[in-house]
Parts: sequence; structure tokens; C-alpha cells
Amino acid sequence: MSSHREAPEISKDPVADSTDVYAFVSPDKPNTVTLIANYIPLQLPSGGPNFYEFGDDVLYEIHIDNDGDGQADISYQFRFSTTVRDPGTFLYNTGPIGSLSDPNWNRVQTYDVSVVAGGSSSTLGRGLPCPPCNIGPRSTPNYAALAAAAVNSLGGGISVFAGQRAEAFFVDLGSIFDLGDLRPFQNLHLIPTPAAPGVNATNDLNVHSIAIQVPISTVTRSGRPTIGVWTSASRQKARIYDADAGEYVNAGPFVQVSRLGNPLVNEVVIPLGQKDLWNSLPPSDDKKFAGYVTQPGLAALLPVLYPKTFPNLAAAVAAKTPRADLEAILLTGIPSGIITGFTNFTGSVLADMLRLNTTIKPTAKPNILGLIGGDPAGFPNGRRVIDDVVTIELRAIAGVTYPLVAPSYKPDAAAGEISDFVPAPPAIGSPPISTFPYLGVPYSGYNEPS
Amino acid sequence: MPSHDARRASAEGAGDPDPLAGSSGRRLSRRSMLHTVATAGAAGLAATALGAAASPAAAATRHPSPGSGSTAKAASGPLVVHVRDARSGDIEVFSGTSQTRLRDKDLAARIARAAG
Repeated sequence: MSSHREAPEISKDPVADSTDVYAFVSPDKPNTVTLIANYIPLQLPSGGPNFYEFGDDVLYEIHIDNDGDGQADISYQFRFSTTVRDPGTFLYNTGPIGSLSDPNWNRVQTYDVSVVAGGSSSTLGRGLPCPPCNIGPRSTPNYAALAAAAVNSLGGGISVFAGQRAEAFFVDLGSIFDLGDLRPFQNLHLIPTPAAPGVNATNDLNVHSIAIQVPISTVTRSGRPTIGVWTSASRQKARIYDADAGEYVNAGPFVQVSRLGNPLVNEVVIPLGQKDLWNSLPPSDDKKFAGYVTQPGLAALLPVLYPKTFPNLAAAVAAKTPRADLEAILLTGIPSGIITGFTNFTGSVLADMLRLNTTIKPTAKPNILGLIGGDPAGFPNGRRVIDDVVTIELRAIAGVTYPLVAPSYKPDAAAGEISDFVPAPPAIGSPPISTFPYLGVPYSGYNEPS
Repeated sequence: MPSHDARRASAEGAGDPDPLAGSSGRRLSRRSMLHTVATAGAAGLAATALGAAASPAAAATRHPSPGSGSTAKAASGPLVVHVRDARSGDIEVFSGTSQTRLRDKDLAARIARAAG
């Protein structure tokens, strides 16, 4: 998955587990960027009676580096508070929830937003309402309107939303973690079975999204239109269970337990023994992981798992030449002169961040393969909710982007065709919407019970 | 640019006022827990630790986090003591959003005896 349950420790802490980060120029407000960080992976919509919510004891952040050093220059911080209106009932809601202030809604979550920049912290909003989870037609009969009411304008051109949304990331999990199987190509696998259509394992599942839309002018520096974006979640160092109160208590400074910039990096690039460490560090420390990016294990596995399918990739792996194309895509941005008219280079510091060149405006006809599909408004120039990042990264690692830095290299024919979905990903049940926060209306427990 | 921890702590401080204070329902926020839950065992150990820190035999390195507040504020919440190494007297004390590192063999030994 992009970053769902990607490391041993964070897989045991879902509320702090970041799953996806998106950063794109807002298609309906192109003078702004939208930044989205998703948490709490693989939510079964019917997962009540204690439905999903953010952690009151977690510090959630979305960071922006605008000078290329891999460190945060601007951090948007989100802290949540939960209230139980009637502790005498087991119900999440005691009747239909018609509005965000409806007394029928029993377990309510609100949040504060602040921004840290230039050494000072400013509060942008306090006590902002999250929407409830989407329960079903009796409990949340007009969910789309309920969620829309939870979009808060904070002034200064800033909008914010935090709450449940439909998962937009698509991947055939059941297949790809079965020894790198891709169903459409599994007839070529080392352990072959007849080719079959891919299955979107995240279909009909929800996530919890933190989304903020801000003017581009407030997050970029003069002459540096490309920003680096990532999210982190932090917990206080000490946590003990107070059995008398039946609650956890926390103390000490916050320490980072989850991080996410580019999709799939900690998931399939960083080795198992380094994943928890990677989650605890800032992007500015990523030099120590650069070898895993420039000589990824997956590139070596593909020729083994798919014999005779990737001979050129096998030769490139055997040559042990660092993959400068992958370093550029994931760690520095792509310098000018590599792809005509495009750059999202932020400098020589190796740092895993989504890099968004904010001067590239949205296109009316986006290509889900982003830059490798000829659409520079998509991944790896930031990331839109529609982008097929699994296919893009799979093909890049398989060699399709290697000629950008090694013109004599000829990618294998399969490198430009592999995907877990052929000819295209299946339609998402609740597709993205055209306005902030862009992710689709979450699936309801009643309508998607299993 | 402040350190990462400092920035986190700033947000912690900024978030202290409770937007839902006064609501009739039971509060379950982490902040309210810090102010209302008495963790007797941990607090008792911490009181000992802080007292010992003032003694000449104890060496303390405090890692304050902006927003962790005054001593009075810190004392109102739980104090959690972590004896990292009783033999060398390496002790951590967590309070509010701060962490203090002590090296006090006598205190570590007393805590170890208290722990049975």
C-alpha cells in the first residue's frame, strides 16, 4: 500500500499511521495548493459502535519545505479533542444526525489548527468540527451535506477539513504482497497461474483525512516555486495505562512515530529493519537511506519473479550503477533539462518529500500516470488523488525512467506495461469530488457492510 | 527556525485552552486527562525524583519544551519516571511536554527498592 501499515511499530498504532499524502495545485482555485494527509488505514465502514476517529493524544502535522533543505519551514499542526455527550448509552448517535451540532450525535470530535513558521506558532482555528463517520441512511441521512458543513474557512484564503473520507488510493494488495504477483501478468510469474484482472483491495474502505488549502503565495519563497511536502504524527514519549481511570495518560515531549512523503517509499523501498527508524526521522536525514532508493530491492526482484521478462533491468541491476533517475524522482526532484519544460528540483539535499512545482497549473484532462503519461501536473510533480502511483513507481523502478539519465539504456518492453490493473484501474465506488477536500464521500456502514 | 520538538511543544501550548470547556458531556481529551487524572504511583516516584534532583549528588539535564509550562503546571499532571539504568543512576523524568535526564545512583537505588 502507499503507506498503510508499512512499518512494524506503526502498524500497531492505526490512529497515528499515515496512509497517503497529496499535494497539488487546486483545480478549482489555481492560486492555492491543497495538502491532504490521510490516517487510520483500511477502515471497514461498518466498524461500529466505536467508529473511527483521530487520536486526541496524537500531534498531526503537514510540513512544507520551501528552501530545499529537507526541513520544515512551515508546519500546519492539528490537535483533536473528543467529547461524549451522553456516557449512559452505548450508541454513537441516539437518532439521526442532521447537523454538526445535532444533540443526537453522541461522540463528537473537534480540532485546533495552528501554523508554525519562522520560529513562532499562530493559531488558525479552534474547536473546529469534524463530521461524524458515515453510519447509514437512518443515522447520517444526508452525509454529503453534513461533511460539506465541516469545511471551515479560516480567513486569509485558507480552508481546512478533518474527518472521514473515501479511500482514493487503489492497489491490488492481495496480489502484490503474494510474492510480487501482478494478476494481469501472473502467467509470467516464477510461480505462474493464468492471467486475471486486478482487484482493488481498498475499494469501499474509508480513511480519515486532514486537508488544508492555502494560497500558493503563503507557502513559496520568491524564485523558488517548488515546495516539498510531507506529513508526520507524533506521540508523547511516556504513556502508561491508568487502570483506575481506565485511560492512558501521557507525559514528556512529542516524538515522531510516523512519516510520509512519496508513496510507497517506506512501504517497499526501505527494508524491514529500517522502517521504524525511517518513520522517526525528518526528510533531511534521508541521505542515510539513499542507497535503498538508488538500488532498490524491487528492481532486483522483478527479473527473478518474472523470468526472461526483464533482461535489460537484470543487466542494469547487475552493473550496480546507482539509479540517478529514482534519486531525482524521490529525493531531489527532477532537475531542469531532463524533461523539456519541467523541473521540480529543490537542490542537492536528499530528502523524501512530495515535490510540487506550483507554477504548473492543473490540466482539464489529467492523465492518471502523471509525468510518465505526459501530464506534468501529476505525480511525481506533487500528487493528485487520481494518480496511479503504484503503476508509476512500478514502471519507474522497472526502468522506464532510467533513459532520462542513461540515454543508452533501453527499457524492457514489459517495463512500460506492468501494472496491477490492465488496461486501467477499476472505477472507485465513491470517486473524488471536484471541490475541496476532493476525496470522495465516505462509504456508509449500512451500504458497504463488508 | 526552531527545533522540531520545540515547534511541537509550541503547538501543545497553543492548544491548551479548551474550546469545549463547559459542555455538559464528559471530556475525554488528552489535556483534561493530564489535569485531572492522578497516577499515584508515578507521581509519588516523580516527587521523590524532583526532590533528589536538587541535591548536590544529582546531576540533571533538562530538555524543556516550550509550552510545557511552569513547574506548578507540570506538577499538576502526571510525572513519569523511567529508570534507564539503575546501576549508573540514569533516570528520565517526563512531565507535561518536558523531559529531564538525571544521573543519581542513590535515587535510582531508592526507586529500585520501592519497586520491590
